Order: sequence, then C-alpha cells, then structure tokens
Amino acid sequence: MSYRVVHYINQFFAQIGGEEMAHIAPELREGAVGPGMALNMAWKGEAEIVNTIVCGDSHFAEHEKEAKAQILAWVKEINPDLFIAGPAFNAGRYGYACANVALAVKEELGIPVLTGMYEENPGADLKDKLLIVATTNNAAGMRKAAPTMAKLALKLLKGEKLGASCEDGYMNNGVRVNFFEKERGSERAVKMLLNKLADKPFTTEYPMPSFDRVAPNPAVKDLSHAVVALCTSGGIVPKGNPDHIESSSASHYGEYCIAGVESLTSDKYETAHGGYDPVYANEDPNRVLPVDVLREFEREGRIGKLYDYFYTTVGNGTAVANAKKFAAEYAQKLKQAGVNAVIMTST
Amino acid sequence: MKNGRDFLIITNNPLVERCLREYYEVSFLPDESYRGILVLVRDKIYLGHKLYTHPLSGSVKPNETPYKSVVISKAVHGFDAGEAEIISNCIAAFDKFSPRKRPLSDKILNDFQLIDYTLLCGALDYDAAAGLSKINTPI
Amino acid sequence: MKLELGFIEIKDIQFSNESKVENGTLFINADAVKEFVYQDDDVKACVKSVSFDIAKPGESVRITPVKDVIEPRVKVEGPGGEFPGVIAKVDTVGSGKTHVLRGMAIVTAGPIVGFQEGIIDMTGPGADYTPFSKLNNLVMVCQPVEGVHQHEYEHAVRIAGLRAATFVGELGRNVTPDESKTYETLGIREGLEKYPNLPRVGYVHMLQSQGLLHDTYVYGVDAKRTLTTIIYPTETMDGAIISGNCVSACDKNTTYHHQNNPVVADLFEQHGKTLNYVCNIITNENVYLADKQRSSDWSAKLCRLLDLDGVIVSQEGFGNPDTDLIMNTKKIEQVGVKTTIITDEYAGQDGKSQSLADADPLADAVVTGGNANMPIVLPKLDKVIGTLDYVDKIAGGHAGSLRPDGSIEAELQVITGATNEMGFNRLSAR
Repeated sequence: MSYRVVHYINQFFAQIGGEEMAHIAPELREGAVGPGMALNMAWKGEAEIVNTIVCGDSHFAEHEKEAKAQILAWVKEINPDLFIAGPAFNAGRYGYACANVALAVKEELGIPVLTGMYEENPGADLKDKLLIVATTNNAAGMRKAAPTMAKLALKLLKGEKLGASCEDGYMNNGVRVNFFEKERGSERAVKMLLNKLADKPFTTEYPMPSFDRVAPNPAVKDLSHAVVALCTSGGIVPKGNPDHIESSSASHYGEYCIAGVESLTSDKYETAHGGYDPVYANEDPNRVLPVDVLREFEREGRIGKLYDYFYTTVGNGTAVANAKKFAAEYAQKLKQAGVNAVIMTST
Repeated sequence: MKNGRDFLIITNNPLVERCLREYYEVSFLPDESYRGILVLVRDKIYLGHKLYTHPLSGSVKPNETPYKSVVISKAVHGFDAGEAEIISNCIAAFDKFSPRKRPLSDKILNDFQLIDYTLLCGALDYDAAAGLSKINTPI
Repeated sequence: MKLELGFIEIKDIQFSNESKVENGTLFINADAVKEFVYQDDDVKACVKSVSFDIAKPGESVRITPVKDVIEPRVKVEGPGGEFPGVIAKVDTVGSGKTHVLRGMAIVTAGPIVGFQEGIIDMTGPGADYTPFSKLNNLVMVCQPVEGVHQHEYEHAVRIAGLRAATFVGELGRNVTPDESKTYETLGIREGLEKYPNLPRVGYVHMLQSQGLLHDTYVYGVDAKRTLTTIIYPTETMDGAIISGNCVSACDKNTTYHHQNNPVVADLFEQHGKTLNYVCNIITNENVYLADKQRSSDWSAKLCRLLDLDGVIVSQEGFGNPDTDLIMNTKKIEQVGVKTTIITDEYAGQDGKSQSLADADPLADAVVTGGNANMPIVLPKLDKVIGTLDYVDKIAGGHAGSLRPDGSIEAELQVITGATNEMGFNRLSAR
C-alpha cells in the first residue's frame, strides 16, 4: 500500500488560467493535477497524490481565513499521510499561500507537510517553522524541484532522519545538522578564501547570527528637564487588551494614555504576551513597564516629565520587519510630541 | 599582604578562597552555582566594574564543573558594552548545555577546583604551585 | 626554508624482541620503549607504570581516556631534531630532511584528572568521527605515582609520549621512504618576485593557552607567555608545536594535528599555483581579557606588516577561544586582510542553540567542523585499552552514559578529534 498525499496548487499550475482566474475559490479534485504528476512519477508507487486542492492566489490573499478553514476541513477528512504545497518558485502570493496553508495543516492537524519555493519568496519567511525546499526563481526549475521534493517527502513519510539542509535541499531552518562533506575542512577553507580574494561568490557554512546594531544617541545632558517616554515589547496593555494585540507574531502596536496614572495596577493593566509566564507581570505590571518608578523620578525632579502615552507590542515571534515598522511609526509621534528620551523595556 | 592591584575575584571555588584570600580580594560565594556566579558578574559589569578574565575560562564544559571564578575590578570604572556583551554571551552559552545531575566524587570535585584555580592563577600571573604549597594540602 | 618529508608507510605493528621497521611493519620491543621513556627524571618521578598495546583499524577496540596522539618522526638531515626545546635541543627546525612513519601513531592514554576524556574507537560509528581510527596505534597506558600533583603528572605523561614517539621515529632513520615531498617557504622579497600576481596568504594558527591541562608549547615555551609571532610552516612539521591540552577531546589539537596541520598541507598544495603561502602566525588563547586584546591586535598588525591579502584562522577548544577567534577575525578584516575561519559548533543537542559564544558580521566566511553536542551512541566493543571508569565523567557523557549493555550514550564531543578546528575532517554542519 502506498502513502497517501494531498497536494495544494494554484489556478496557474492547475492550468485554469493566469491572473484573470486568480479569484477562484478552493476546489477539491481527485488524484494528481499538473506538477503532482511529476511527484507521482518520482515516487514510483511508494506514495501517491490522492487529492489535489486548487485555489486562486487572489482568493487566498483576500479570503485567507475562509479559504484556510475550507482547505483544513478537506484535509482533515481525507486524513493523508503527508500534505505538499507548491512548489511556488518566485510567485509571491502563491508562496505565501503554500507556506501558510502547510503551516496550518502541520499545526492544527498534526500532519507532516512540505512545500517549495524560491528563497526570496515572501512565503520563505516561514522556513524556520516548516520544511521548504529551495527552488529556482521560475517554473523552469520544476524538473529539479520535483525529485528533490519527492525524495524529501518519502523521508518524512517513512519518519527517516533528515540530512543537513544542503544535502536534502531544504532551506536552512536554524537547526544545525551534522554531515560529512566531500572535502576536509582545511581544503574547504582554502577554496573559500580563494573565492573571497577573487571577489567570487562563496557560501559560509555558518552564517553569523544577524544583528541589527543601533548606535546609541549621545547621552541626554539634562534629564531633569527631559520628557521621557516608556515603550515596551513586553505586551503591557489596558485590561481586556482593547486593541487585540496578538499574544505572538503581533501585527500591530498599541498607544495608551497614562496621564495621571501613578502606577500600573493589576485591576487596570495586564500583559498580552504569550511567550513568558505572565503571573508576575499581571500581578504588578510596573515590573515590565515601570510607570511607578518614573512617577517617583518625576516627583523627585530627576526627570522632567513622564510622557502621557506609552507604546506597546508583543515581541514574541514578531517579525523583525513588523517591529521595525511599528517603531518607525511611533518614533515620529514621539518626536513630534517633543519627547527627549525613551526607555524601552523587554521581557 | 594583599596584592594592591584592582582585582576582585568572584568565585564559588573553595580552593581559590583558601589559596588566594591572603593575596587578593576574594568574594567567596560557596552557595552560588556556576550560572549564579556568571549572573552576579553580569550585574557587576552593569554597575561599571571591569571584566578582567573571560568568564568561560577553560574548555571544561559549563555543565561538567560546578566551579567558576571570574576576575573583575574592585573599582567602578564605567560601563563597557563590549564586556557586557561577553558576559551575556557566556550566560547564553551556559544555557545551551543540558543540565547533568550526576553525583561527583570528592576526587573529581577536587580536580575541577584545581583546574578552575590554576586557570585563574594563569590569568593573574600568580604561581599556582606556590599557592598550593602554601596551604600545604595534598590535592 | 625547505624541508623534505620522506614518508615510510606503516601498515602493521607487531610486538617483537627486536625493534625495527621492515616492509611496512613496525616491530616493537615494548620493554625497550619503556626503558627509553623512563630515562627521563620527571617520568621516573611521576609515572608509576606504563603498559603498551596495539590497536589496528577495524578492530573491535576502544581506547580511552586518550591524552595525546603523536606521529613518530626523525630528523635525518639538517639542523635540530624532533620536538625542539622539549626532546631535541632548541635549534630551529623545519629544514633538511625528516622521515615520517605514516599510518601509525603513539597514543598516550590513562587518567590525568578525574574527569579525563577522549575516546578513539577503531570500528563502528565512533570510528567514522575520529581520524585516529584509520591509523595503527601503539598505545601507551600510563598510571600515576600515588599523590603526584596533576600538573607534574600531565607534564610527565606529555614527555613520556614524546619520548616513545622519538624512540619509534628513530627506527625509521635508515629506512628508504616510500614517498617524498618537499615544502618550501620563500623569503618575503623572493616570494613577491617569484609570484607577483598571486594573492599573499597566511595562516593564523590559534594555540590553546589557558592554563593547566589547556596548554600548548612552542619550542618548549608555554604559549600562554608568548606574544603573537611568525613561524615557518615547515617548523610545525618537525614538532615545533606540541600539545599539553587534555580538555575538550573533540576540538583539541593533538600533537599529531600540529605535526600534520591540514591548513599547512592544503596551503602548500596551492602554493605557487593559486596563492603565495607566506607564513604562519601563531597567537595564543589566554584567559585574561587584556591578553586577548593584545594578541589579536598583534595578529592583525603582523597580517598588515606582511602585506597579506588573506588568511585562514583556525581555533582550538570550546568557549572563550570563540572570543579570540572573533577578535582576530574582526581586527584582521579591519586592516583590510580577508579571512576565512575554521571553528566548530556547540549548538545544543537539538542543534537549535547559538553555535558560538561570540559572533561578528565580519566573520562572513566560516568553515565548521560540526556540532559537538550531537548525541551519539557508541556500541560496546570487545576490548578496552585504558579504562571505562571515566566514561560517565567525560565531556558530553552524563550520568548513566555507560549503559548496562556496555554501550555509551554521549555527545560527539567525547570523541578525540571529532570536530577538529583546523579542518582535519570532512565533518561539517548546516
């Protein structure tokens, strides 16, 4: 008996049409369609696509919630051994849909998933959360992508241990896996250095963790007349979280007035953060956003004034790009309000 | 007589305390864990003490040995972001090793004390063997 | 400076009444080696006993705890002798002719401290990770005299191993080598004139130098007390650098690694073809932060002074050497010399943690020897040379490492040379 696989593709690869047909709602088909044939062939009967789900890229983008629910319902009922999406190559909305549908299947149904796309596809942002095969940036790469995905799919189906990302063709997901190279390390080092010296491309075997270093501004000369604002990624919000800041992967930030608030009390404030034990923050929200101490400083004249608003979001798996966007936005507001210094608290 | 240099040794290693207390300023904290010592050092660095020795001295892995000695300045010189980065990296490095709850014999504990002590002496340019002979206790 | 290495292939080792090398077989009289080893006063005073054993590739044998691995060599022409400043006189080595007994090693084993580590498996999954499983090993198991201090004992065992290697190396003096290879380093101007269009490349060789059981010696000098300096690559082939490092088995550089430095070999391989291999810069890894600062400043300064275009930087050990590595790399890049670095990783058993204890964006060309935290199960082998008493204690082992069926559950870091940071192995990680 062969393994049962469900495949997700878009309107283009289902040969329904291009952009003009991108609005079509999800539909469920029997057997393999389009690129699924190539996968079936590579599996030689060991695994087989039992159903294909087709969805228009615009439809998914505009009705993500409904489309996802429909797809999940189908997959749940079919209960396959594996769910494959794509490959999406460089198609941005298709890649986004593949990654997000696959992630939902993995997280909500517990079914192993696999997708594939070009590494600059926005969908590849999820590479740390699910296996994404790296493909070329256009569909001409199908001939190479299909066997790689098929092979990796069989490993997942059989529960075999994955090789290193460069061996099995998936995007580096932050998990370091040992394997034997063809050449010893010193030889690889010499080659890498020669390429570097010749300004030719080379690939480091260990990319340094990327830091976004910010050079601090000069110190505030006279704090006693400065307006100081409090900001946090620790998720402190008015009780009830009125703006529904997500407990993880936050999509927005909140702006709240604390004029006249002497201290953050547990009956009025809490944390929305889902990434740490909230007990102590909820007990005394000043522990994360120290309004009480800043008021004390204000009274003692150590700072001029605590700014009337604080800005807050949840730093739990929140995309760096989003975090940057939030800060750029409220930094302007702070600047316009004449704030001289900001204390940013984390957790 | 105590060494006049600006050295403060933060340690949970009894051998360091025994051999060096007469010559150096030693803050001996026998109840602190390896990690506890690192955290304490971090807090001192935040307060502006200088970090003189690398807190991950030795290739003995932090989940093997319970002992840790770090030299910082006695005086407050001012906050140094580079040093703060080193100590926080060390705490992160400590945390990636799985804890091992295994009983250690006295012989092994003594050896771990000795390694920590001698690495420290190397850094202080202090004769480790002389220190040992002064306390006159066979290891 | 020019050195010719004459390689004598050793395909087998046998105990015998007479010690000699014949047709690729080393015949060895263990008592004669022992006698030679014991001619040293420190060995006499500190080492209670030595016993010899032979471990061959593919045999069901486990050697542990391993202290050092040494290749027997003998100087047959030119100044000096092997292990200058320690065994031979302190004359400058690296020129003339040296015979190498290739395919074998002297392995010193036995406890130094209570958590002594290092495993060499001659077969099974562990053998894939250590280069020493491919050698015929003459193992010398040492036992300490009661009450001896660890630092004195480490010194004595280090000397004992070097003396055993010297004895065996001497047996190759009058044997005709199976293969010869010549290595030459030119003077600065000569090199520039001969290879005007090739990039000038150096090798920044970081030496473990933190203290007891973490030391390296250069011509007998404790590297801890040295300033960053220049050395001819061929000097290392004559044992100018020896290991006193007993900690972190997977990424310590044994004396064998120093004698057979793979970076040196692979740079020589390209010398005159794609690059001009200028020299080695040796720099230490001290505990004191100001020392790190000074040593890395000097590395960068020498790279600049020598007008190098690029360097390979290799590391030794776990933890704080990451800081030396990054300091060296950063400063060398900042003086306009390009770097490629070789390290290994401690990314946790699940591979998800930050691999290094330090990092910098300028270190953009990294070769890795793999994740030393990788869990590994080593099956029971028929014979143990040394003792398994320490297996529960060694790095990467944990309580119950030694399982009732005789197998060992541990991390890759217990295996001698597994994640070598000179790039000796093919192991890597992504």
